[in-house]
Amino acid sequence: MTETTPRKAIITGITGQDGSYLAELLLGKGYEVHGLIRRSSTFNTDRIDHIYQDPHVPHPRLFLHYSDLTDGSRLVTLLNEIQPHEVYNLAAQSHVRVSFDEPEYTGDVTGLGTIRLLEAIRALGLDTRFYQASSSEMFGATPPPQDENTPFYPRSPYGVAKLYSYWITRNYREAYGIFASNGVLFNHESPRRGDTFVTRKITRAVARIAAGQQTELFMGNLDSVRDWGYAPEYVEAMWLMLQHDTPGDFVVATNTAFTVKDFLQLSFEHAGLEWEKYVRFDERYLRPTEVDSLIGDASKARDVLGWTPTILTPRLAQIMVDADIKALELGGIRYVDSVQTQ
Amino acid sequence: MYLVDRLLEAGDEVHGMCHSEHGATLLRARHPRAVAHVADLGDSPAIRALVDEVEPTRLFNLAGNTSVARSWEFPAEAADILGVGPIRLLEASWKLSQRTNRPVRMLQASSAEIFGDTTEAPQTEETVRLPVTPYGAAKEFAHEMAGVYRKRGMYVSTAILYNHESPRRPETFVARKIAVAVARIAAGLQETITLGNIEVHRDWGYAPDYVDAMIRIISHPMSGDFIVATGVSHTVREFVAEAFDVAGVSHWEDRVIIDPALYRPADPQTLVGDPSRLRSLGWEPSVSFRQLVRIMVTSELDRLRG
Repeated sequence: MTETTPRKAIITGITGQDGSYLAELLLGKGYEVHGLIRRSSTFNTDRIDHIYQDPHVPHPRLFLHYSDLTDGSRLVTLLNEIQPHEVYNLAAQSHVRVSFDEPEYTGDVTGLGTIRLLEAIRALGLDTRFYQASSSEMFGATPPPQDENTPFYPRSPYGVAKLYSYWITRNYREAYGIFASNGVLFNHESPRRGDTFVTRKITRAVARIAAGQQTELFMGNLDSVRDWGYAPEYVEAMWLMLQHDTPGDFVVATNTAFTVKDFLQLSFEHAGLEWEKYVRFDERYLRPTEVDSLIGDASKARDVLGWTPTILTPRLAQIMVDADIKALELGGIRYVDSVQTQ
Repeated sequence: MYLVDRLLEAGDEVHGMCHSEHGATLLRARHPRAVAHVADLGDSPAIRALVDEVEPTRLFNLAGNTSVARSWEFPAEAADILGVGPIRLLEASWKLSQRTNRPVRMLQASSAEIFGDTTEAPQTEETVRLPVTPYGAAKEFAHEMAGVYRKRGMYVSTAILYNHESPRRPETFVARKIAVAVARIAAGLQETITLGNIEVHRDWGYAPDYVDAMIRIISHPMSGDFIVATGVSHTVREFVAEAFDVAGVSHWEDRVIIDPALYRPADPQTLVGDPSRLRSLGWEPSVSFRQLVRIMVTSELDRLRG
């Protein structure tokens, strides 16, 4: 027998930055991929349109299902139909600043969505592996560097909701023996990052300023310290976690520190511009409570999973600026970046 | 209910939020001077409307199913009511204080279950939290969210409550279950009691003392987290032995059946709190462990005698 049934994976949040890269990675490895998407009056599948196939063509391997993490019974039905080998829970209300305005919704999706999924897996008795997208925002005010043993001190409703998901994932692993792992991912960016996230906001502005379409960029706190990695490398870490012999919790980070100001400088420089000439301060972009410094120590992921990041913040800024310049040149046509290996 | 007594005695206007009409009827019957409202902690618009209507100056959130065992059966419900429910109250209070320009103080009843498998004992307000049950994880959710709102400038304190018992405790809780069974065994109405893991350590206090603690905490000028505990731990085994002793039953080991089916998927082993910060507010427990067991068992013996 050479023909084997493909492994099946479910990705919640497949329309997001990480979901789209992960879908590409898994399709490349021969998986059948099932993405859960929310019904919306406007299409929100930009990031996966290039890999989506018409379901009428023979042997499609990417399937999309309408589902919402707030609907537990729908999740049970879908999991039962698909019988996945791996479940990646990447869906969330993922914007930290927005979580202060919508704390309840954030709690419902980013927090309770996880228990609904885990409970569906347990209730169905599925033999599946579960990945939970945990976040460095759970550390919040804890001093860096942060690793798997660092105590949590979340400073935003988003961080608190992610922390709940982290604990319930551990509870289900320890109490029920479910293969459930937490990837505690530090900031990871790419040309597919949402426009409102600080890195993408900067690189888009750089492209527009370089093209003469914009003259100013309004920013909040420039002194926040972050550890920015390249998203395609981070989804590789997610996959590695579910291929390992035993489940666990893993910090995924580059262990380097840059400020928002550094990222501004790197991005503007790459386009031959001086950032000071264009950046203005706007207090509306300050968070009600700010997380000062997040730098991750990913030694465990390196030693146990063999994962090491190769693209660090300076190169990341260049990749993002290049992509935004190309996207601008294409005008209204959607530009799809391809994964960079150096 | 102990809290309502205390607040009414102090001359406060008290509004009770009950999740059912039945609960509201009970509250009205017992406390005619309190105003009973029906609203569910899962119902955001109802909570918002109630907070806007009553405009409380102090809000105590003691709501939610408090059974760890039930949280294993209904983990999503536990997260919604114990985790997101307090967010609905925090948000409604925060919006009210912004609208009226008047501070609203909130007290969130946290739980020792947030500490779970922590290795530090006794636990303080700074102890690392490692919840190991859906109940503990949901309570930790609310505990951290209270911290986020405090940091934003809202007055919100948490009372990290350790086991607190009284004759008003439901029988689903081990202390009351033991008291009821031991009294019935002493009266010859039953032979044995079936229990789960009796080696776990718990810090048991007397519920009215813990209500007193909550009032002191919310009356303090500075908001914060406060451990509410006696500082002394005992095993369930010791509780059982003491209860049989109070009831005058000898050879108690013969009366206890251990059923591993009653063991929980995970259970914190040693929960004992350090109430130093609360003591600095003048609080002291009024009842010792032995006195607590005596109160519980004597109450059941009296009930049986009519």
